[in-house]
Amino acid sequence: MNDVRARVLEGAYACIARRGMAKTTVDDVAAESGVSRATIYRIFPGGKEEVLRDTVGWEMDRFFLRLGEELGDAADFPEFLERALPLARRELLEHTVLQKVLETEPDRLNALITVQQHRVIGAIAAYFLPLLERDREAGLVAADVDLAPVAEYVARLSLSLIASPGRHDLADSVEVHRLVRGELLAGVLVG
Amino acid sequence: MTLTVAPVATTTRIRDAALICIGRFGLAKTTVDDIAREAGSSRATLYRYFDGKPAIVRAAVVAEFDRVSDALVEAGRAEPTFADAVVAVVVRGARELRGHDALQFLLAHEPDAVLGHLAFGPGDRVLVAVGDAIAPAFDRWLSPDACTRAGDWLARLVRSYVLMPHPPVDFTDPFAARAFLERLVLPGLAEIGELP
Repeated sequence: MNDVRARVLEGAYACIARRGMAKTTVDDVAAESGVSRATIYRIFPGGKEEVLRDTVGWEMDRFFLRLGEELGDAADFPEFLERALPLARRELLEHTVLQKVLETEPDRLNALITVQQHRVIGAIAAYFLPLLERDREAGLVAADVDLAPVAEYVARLSLSLIASPGRHDLADSVEVHRLVRGELLAGVLVG
Repeated sequence: MTLTVAPVATTTRIRDAALICIGRFGLAKTTVDDIAREAGSSRATLYRYFDGKPAIVRAAVVAEFDRVSDALVEAGRAEPTFADAVVAVVVRGARELRGHDALQFLLAHEPDAVLGHLAFGPGDRVLVAVGDAIAPAFDRWLSPDACTRAGDWLARLVRSYVLMPHPPVDFTDPFAARAFLERLVLPGLAEIGELP
C-alpha cells in the first residue's frame, strides 16, 4: 500500500476512534492525516463512505497481522488454532475502538465489516494454507484433500467463532480443543 | 391504548402483507397504510391489533423464524440417515433464505437493517436461538446435547455461506452442498457423539 493512502487510513482511524463514524468528515480526515481534501478524493473517489469502508478493512487486516505476530510458531496447525481462537477472542473484546463503535453505531459498522469480510477471510485462508500443507507433509493431514477449500472453511468458521462464540466458551481450553479437532478439522486430520 | 387479540387468520394476513411490502419497497419505505392495503384491511384494524409498524415487523420476524425452523426440523427428520438429514437441513435453510424476498431486498438495499442483528453480540443470541430451534431435526441420531451442538454449527455455516457475500459454495445446490458437507463438516459432527 502506498504511503499517502496509509496516512489517510491512519488519520481516518484516529478520527473514528475519537468521534465515531457518523461525525467524521473528509475535512477531519484531511486535517488529521495532513493530506489535502483533493488528494483524499483522488485516492478515494467515493469520498467519506469509501474512506470509512477501507479504514474498516485496513484495521481488520492489521488486527489479524498483529495476532499472527503474537502467536508465532506452533508445532502444528491444530495447536496453532487452539492458541489463536482464545487469543483472537480476547483481543477482540479488548479492542477499544471496535467495542466503542459497536456500542454507538453497530448497524453501520456491521454492514461495513460484512462487506470487507470476504477479503479478510481470503487473507486468513492464505495464512492458514502453508500451515496445512506443512501438516500434510508431516502426515497429520489426509493426503487426498484439496487444502485450499479447507483453509477457506477454517478461516470462515474461525472468524464466526471469535466474533460470535454463542454457546461456546473460547476461554475454556477443553472446549477449544474439542472445536478444533472436531467441527473445524475432523474432516482432514488423520486418525 | 389496549390492543385486542386478533383472530389468527387476521394477524397472519397482516404479517404476510408486511413481508410482501418489505420485499417490494424495503423496510424504511413501507408504511402502515401500505401494509393495510396489501392485507385488505383498514388502518384502524391494523392499529387495533398492533402497536404500529415496528410491532408488525417484529411479529413477522418471529413468525418467519418459527416457520423456517419448523420446516428445517421437518426436513431433517424425514431423512433416513444423519448425513442425509444434515444435507437436507442445510439445503432447505439456504433455499429459505435465498428465496426470501423481504430478506433479500433488505440485504441488497438496506443491509444495516439486517446485518447488525446477525453479527457480534446480537449474532450470539441468533446462533443460540437457531441452534436450539433446529436441534430436534437430529434427535433420531444424536444425544440432546449433541443435537444442539450440531444445530449451532449448521446455523453458523448457513449464516456465513448464505448470508455473507461471495460464498465459495452454493448450499442451495444439493450436490455441491453434499460434497462439501461430507468432506469438511460431517466428520466433525459425527465426532460429537452418536446415540448408542
